[in-house]
Amino acid sequence: MKASYNWLKEFVDFSEPPKELAHVLTMAGFEVEAIEQINDDTIFDIGITPNRPDCLSIRGIARELSAILEIPFNALHPEITDSKGTGPTVDISNSDLCSRYSSRLVTGVRPGPSPQWLSKRLESHGIRSTSNIVDITNYVLLEFGQPLHAFDFDKLAGKKIVVKKAGSKKKFSTLDDVERPLHKDMLLIWDAEKPVAIAGVMGGKNTEVSGSTTNILLESAFFKPASIRRTSKALNLSTESSYRFERGVDFNGVTMALDRAAHLIADIAGGTVSGMTDNCPEPFRPQKISLTFKKIQSYIGADIGEAFVINTLINLGFKTDKAGEGITVTPPSFRNDVSGDVDIIEEIARIYGYDNIPSTLPIMQMSAAPVHRSRSLIQTVRKSFTGSGFTEVINYSFMNTESLDILQLPKDDMRRKVIYVRNPLRKEEEAMRTTLVPALLNNISLNLNRGERSMRFFEVSKVFLPSEEKLPHEVVQVAAVYHKDMDSSIWQYSHDGFYDMKGILENLLQELKIKDYRFDHENYALEPYLHPGKACSIIVSGERIGSLGTIHPGVADMLGIKGNLNVLEVFDLDRLIGAMQMKTVFAPLPRYPYAERDVAVVVGDDVMVSSVRNEMLSVHSDIIESINLFDVYKGKPIPKDKKSLAFSIRFRSAERTLTDTEVDELHALIITRLKENLNAELRS
Amino acid sequence: MLNDIESIKSSASAEIDKAQSLKEVHDLKVKYLGKKGILTSKIKSLGSVPPEDRPVYGQTLNQTKIFIEKLLTGQEEKFRTSELDSSLRNQRIDVSIPGCRSPLGRLHPVTQVLEEIITIFVSLGFTVEEGPEIELDFYNFEALNMPQDHPARDMQDTFYISDDVVLRTHTSPVQVRTMQKSTPPMRVIAPGKVYRCDADVSHIPMFHQLEGFMVDKNIRMSDLKGVLELFVHRVFGPDTSIRLRPSFFPFTEPSAEIDISCVMCKGSGCNVCSSTGWIEILGAGMINPRVYEMAGYDPDLYTGFAFGLGIERVAMLKYSINDIRLFMENDKRFLEQF
Repeated sequence: MKASYNWLKEFVDFSEPPKELAHVLTMAGFEVEAIEQINDDTIFDIGITPNRPDCLSIRGIARELSAILEIPFNALHPEITDSKGTGPTVDISNSDLCSRYSSRLVTGVRPGPSPQWLSKRLESHGIRSTSNIVDITNYVLLEFGQPLHAFDFDKLAGKKIVVKKAGSKKKFSTLDDVERPLHKDMLLIWDAEKPVAIAGVMGGKNTEVSGSTTNILLESAFFKPASIRRTSKALNLSTESSYRFERGVDFNGVTMALDRAAHLIADIAGGTVSGMTDNCPEPFRPQKISLTFKKIQSYIGADIGEAFVINTLINLGFKTDKAGEGITVTPPSFRNDVSGDVDIIEEIARIYGYDNIPSTLPIMQMSAAPVHRSRSLIQTVRKSFTGSGFTEVINYSFMNTESLDILQLPKDDMRRKVIYVRNPLRKEEEAMRTTLVPALLNNISLNLNRGERSMRFFEVSKVFLPSEEKLPHEVVQVAAVYHKDMDSSIWQYSHDGFYDMKGILENLLQELKIKDYRFDHENYALEPYLHPGKACSIIVSGERIGSLGTIHPGVADMLGIKGNLNVLEVFDLDRLIGAMQMKTVFAPLPRYPYAERDVAVVVGDDVMVSSVRNEMLSVHSDIIESINLFDVYKGKPIPKDKKSLAFSIRFRSAERTLTDTEVDELHALIITRLKENLNAELRS
Repeated sequence: MLNDIESIKSSASAEIDKAQSLKEVHDLKVKYLGKKGILTSKIKSLGSVPPEDRPVYGQTLNQTKIFIEKLLTGQEEKFRTSELDSSLRNQRIDVSIPGCRSPLGRLHPVTQVLEEIITIFVSLGFTVEEGPEIELDFYNFEALNMPQDHPARDMQDTFYISDDVVLRTHTSPVQVRTMQKSTPPMRVIAPGKVYRCDADVSHIPMFHQLEGFMVDKNIRMSDLKGVLELFVHRVFGPDTSIRLRPSFFPFTEPSAEIDISCVMCKGSGCNVCSSTGWIEILGAGMINPRVYEMAGYDPDLYTGFAFGLGIERVAMLKYSINDIRLFMENDKRFLEQF
């Protein structure tokens, strides 16, 4: 809302210069967002909150200033004393949507350009000057906050007004020459035959005031806010009128504004003002709100005196009756936002000044916060990944479903069951994410394009999956991408990025105290976006909780990703909670020394290290303390379809020192088992 | 004879002192104390000394031997140490070669700021609650005193999933959800992602908020001011002042916008604060009794306050970030600065 300094001063004779006045307004809840100097005037651009439609007017803002600065408000009531006859009949068919409709006929007007003071004032408030009559309705709209409409009376069929819904009427052409589709529940203003305006939103082309108009009918009404808002939303048409009606105008100000406009028209455009027709099917019922002074003080936490309370309320236009320890307050008709005692308290606090309220700390009973398991889980995950050199990213919860095609997900994949956003801003936001992977791949692409190399990113975020309930499942996922650039540093690590990623996950599982896990390549479908030879499922407590692997070269190509990229995905972090060992019990340190033996075997290429380990452990799992794989070798002189594995095995008993003979026997037994069961040969 | 010994002692002393290397020391040892050494031969010739003089000679010779041995050992030690030292020095490495660093992972700046703020409130006894990001219209609007057709709904551009399911536009729905499942006294923070159908230099369609609220029998508006002041001092430093301005939120009454003195110019006026010296940082107020009614509390019994804070906004002020979109771009060079 734009408001002129000079215009405000007509109502309240303040002495504050513009900058100071702006501060006064801001600190009372009317934030001055901009100050503009126009000629000899200053225009404030004030943010009016939706609860204060009364301040969508010069008089409203002036009234506030009067209360804050304690300077009398000069109401300037226009009075029409010399009216003749009455206006046309007005029928309100839908009185639930229109509680007041008042009108005056002004005959013999001479439409023409506005006087300079009028057009200048409108223009400095951002309203284009057109002709005197329309300009006056706009001027009064700014002054009172009451939207008015002027009809060319001679174009009204049957010389009457009917207020009723659109019903079967389908279309209507508004002033701005646009044919608007109507909904049956929209409230319209009709003459005897046809609609002439969309109530509270915009007048019709068919009864517009023109240069040849001689008689006008001025409308000033109170339409039900919700109805106007629905209409305005449905038409996608917000006007100065609809903006005020949907927030609520001053019920008792309806006729005051009408009189002011009629008066100005007669003054500026000539003509004779007729008597008023004022239909008021639902009169205004002021409410009474009672509260105690004690409540005001304890709610705000400031020692505010009774006199201050009463004066403030009176200055703001409220009626007050002191009754014992408290007061009964009647809000004025322009304050439809005030309905409870806390609304009254706000008025007092506002004028008292929030700055004058002391700072205190609450007195409260102590209580223990419940353990937030999923939050601490997320924190552990974050700590583990950052500890492994991963940087956290945060991506939008949205996705473009085409990204699922890039991942090659089959049609029946769970992640294809997406929840769509009804009004996305862009294609990228059409649906809610069902997987974190596409966004992480995009993060890699973007950074590669910007010349970055060697990236480790992870994200912990919710994904959204459909459910039987009204609201979808929100599941916390973890995903990580590891882009390895072999030539980036003198400190090269030549091993495959897959094992880096696997190690990082194993670290995470250890940090979560999860012991029951394995990596499976055979029993579950592999992710289609991963390299089929370098991928696996992560199995925790017998359940597939995620996947891990090198990106499929085809997918990498599509995304323009070069280099070694591994991807880790944990579908539902909460599913790990059950597998976490909650209690840590100390294991005594070994008292007896260990013995170590190395063994190198040649096995078939398809024999997995895990099988070799299991075979070894089966010999004597209590005494084999650890098995450390220290070499994997393929190539000459090992036959083509075989590989050499070298292990260092540590034996230890908890009860005694093992003898060399015992250890040698166990070692020999291990070799025998490997030979018999895995067709292994001892490498010499 | 005694003069001989004295001159051996002084010549040995002088020679040993002048020795330049371990080898020279070794040679001197042979020269004086070796099998055919000068002092050794004197000792051997002790038999030719008259018996009455022998004790004196013997003692003198012995003392001289010990004296020379001591000098030799001292020199030996000296040369050994310096030879080891020079041999170690020759194994010098280039310390200017960059260290073999394990990569340093970072948390996203939004997470860092969010965690910092959570820690502050947890230290004040607040507990952390969460709510769904895809939320019922009821919790996002209706229960917060924003019925259908309420103009306050215009304050937040909403993404819709269906007629009555939205992407939550703020973290405030957690207020009602928490109140429905527990009873006062309560002090709760609810961090999380929120969504607005809005995108430009200063708006992104998804950002982070932290909701805080406290409900008990005697919570005052001055308590809101005190708690927020404490929070602002922790995050932006004790010399930051706060200012409350009346405002409007349907779910609080009275409502306030909270400004802090500009962190850039300390209140003297700059671009960041549009020369006002103040920066708007959060919205707050006393919880509207209608919200208690929705949650099934007796509005005459309880009072409380609530506030909502934009995390990206705090991070931007804290780190002087000028474009909110950087948070979602995830450029490595951006992320690694925090």
